[in-house]
Amino acid sequence: MAAMNKKVSCGLVAILLLAATGCSPSVASKPDDASAASTTPSKSAEQRPGEGKRAPTGESTAAGQSSLDQLREGKSSATSGPLKDIYFSFDRYDLEVEARSTLKANADWLKANPAARIEIEGHCDDRGTNEYNLALGAKRAQAAKDYLVTLGITTERLSTISYGEEIPTCKDTNETCWRQNRRARFVIIPGRAAS
Amino acid sequence: MMRKIAFAALLLVLGPWPASAQSKSETGVRGEIVGQGGLRFPIAVSPLKNLGTAADTAKLSEGIADTIVYDLDLSGWFKVLDRAAYIENPQKSGVVPGSFDFKDWSTIGAEGLVKGGFTVQGDEVAVELRLFDVFQNKERVGKRYVGRIKDYRRIAHKFADEIINQFTGVPGVFNTRIAYVSTSGGRFKEIHVAHLDGSEKFQVTNNHTINLSPSWTFDGKSVLYTSYKDRNSSLYLFELYSGKEAKFTPRIGRYLGGKVSPDGQFIAATVETAGNSNLSLLDRNGNLIRSLAENPGIEVSPSWSPDGRQLVFVSDRTGSPQLFILELASSKVRRLTYSGNYNTSPEWSPRGDRIAYTGRVGNRFAVFTIAVEGGEPRKLTAETADSEDPTWSPDGRFIAFSSNRAGKYHLYIMQASGESQRRLTGSGGDDTKPSWSPRLE
Repeated sequence: MAAMNKKVSCGLVAILLLAATGCSPSVASKPDDASAASTTPSKSAEQRPGEGKRAPTGESTAAGQSSLDQLREGKSSATSGPLKDIYFSFDRYDLEVEARSTLKANADWLKANPAARIEIEGHCDDRGTNEYNLALGAKRAQAAKDYLVTLGITTERLSTISYGEEIPTCKDTNETCWRQNRRARFVIIPGRAAS
Repeated sequence: MMRKIAFAALLLVLGPWPASAQSKSETGVRGEIVGQGGLRFPIAVSPLKNLGTAADTAKLSEGIADTIVYDLDLSGWFKVLDRAAYIENPQKSGVVPGSFDFKDWSTIGAEGLVKGGFTVQGDEVAVELRLFDVFQNKERVGKRYVGRIKDYRRIAHKFADEIINQFTGVPGVFNTRIAYVSTSGGRFKEIHVAHLDGSEKFQVTNNHTINLSPSWTFDGKSVLYTSYKDRNSSLYLFELYSGKEAKFTPRIGRYLGGKVSPDGQFIAATVETAGNSNLSLLDRNGNLIRSLAENPGIEVSPSWSPDGRQLVFVSDRTGSPQLFILELASSKVRRLTYSGNYNTSPEWSPRGDRIAYTGRVGNRFAVFTIAVEGGEPRKLTAETADSEDPTWSPDGRFIAFSSNRAGKYHLYIMQASGESQRRLTGSGGDDTKPSWSPRLE
């Protein structure tokens, strides 16, 4: 690729950054206003509460909201609702005794609410490498899914996604917080939730 | 499309200055400047002389000198003498040999000297810069540049690269960019690019989600990154100069990351399917060619060898994340790292001989390098804080990385030996996952 499409003049051309043209004011980024731009994302998101359109606003106690939507809306990604998180050890995706018992309770709820579909989120603590943690989170979500399937939940009701270390519930640097973040989270997919 | 970097101004390099053409090999300071923990070469960088009649409203005299000083200091090879100690008045003394007194510089301990002048005309500036050997009272090299005033830093970087070339036989890497992930103080991770000196910042993404793992195509014109902007993680290839973007999604599963091959023809991608992460070889349009290194465990973070024949990647097939090398032609895989129980984020040196990576030491993470053949790794950063995500300079002589040693994560660079660790200009948020561009043209 290096030698392709080079215009002769490119070799000696200096580059200037321009404000992007044709984009909305909140998206424009000028070369020297990085500090100004840096403060806008959280603010503008708060001013546009409807942005995470695909999730409900939380009136339903059973319906969940994905961690990504909670991040977008500036909400805590701590779990509330009928399905409890399960926790993992550092760099592990095997299910511990306590996790299995939580999964049994979650399976019972799913059996009692046969219309509900859930997305299982795999999360990691913020130590280590982002991309490896994406893969590790995927393993955790899958481990939870596989166990729910062995407990009799049909695979069609269960999807998975990994957020790696990207959406922590806490940001302290101690084992208590790290363990809280090494979790699989069970989000009831909106619109299909049982009452 | 929405956002892009525009080509702007012509930067002409008219030098070398005729008088200096053959002075290169005559001096005694050629070669690697310092050894392990060695002395740094004392050099003075004089503010430039205004050779024209127009006023220096853009403060080029000091601005160009400051940029060269920043670069030389960043390299770790020079001790740049404090400007307050300079004796001569740069606006009064000359810039060519014979028109100033070398004693004014040897007196203050300078062994090297950078002087220059400039002429402003409209929004353009012509700059001449010269490197002198103070001991030998000789000019080493002179260059002349013409460009837009607002691009003066580019001119300074070009000459800093030339100074490094004079001393080491290989040009410097100051005309380069870093792509990185930044929170900019908010809660979203967005992709940014900036020059090594923090100037010319450009925000690649602004989608208020999670954007990760930027890496450069080897022409320095595009950035490949992972994003959740469409809810599922996918790969995106963004062209900086056109603003065009391509999205890559696998037929089954999701992409967690990827790297474009040195010839630009392929992408090595991490694809996650039913919880398993494996490597895939894609063509440059994102079409699957074949799977690589399939394994029930985790396979992530491929990085190409400079010849494009091998990939180093992370696998937990032996129970903990370790580095492995895959030879594409034979599909043979060999384990590279044996020490430590957490070795990730490898990047192959452009020189081909070593691989930099993040390793866990106790409860901390440090940057290591290891020879491609294996053997004892070198730990380059202290475990008093976390240092992660190393990326090589295009000449393989420096490594940039992110570290929380000052609280938040900031970007740092160091020599490939681990010496001269210096913080780069930050964003005010957490800056992580740097990727060093090829040399810009």
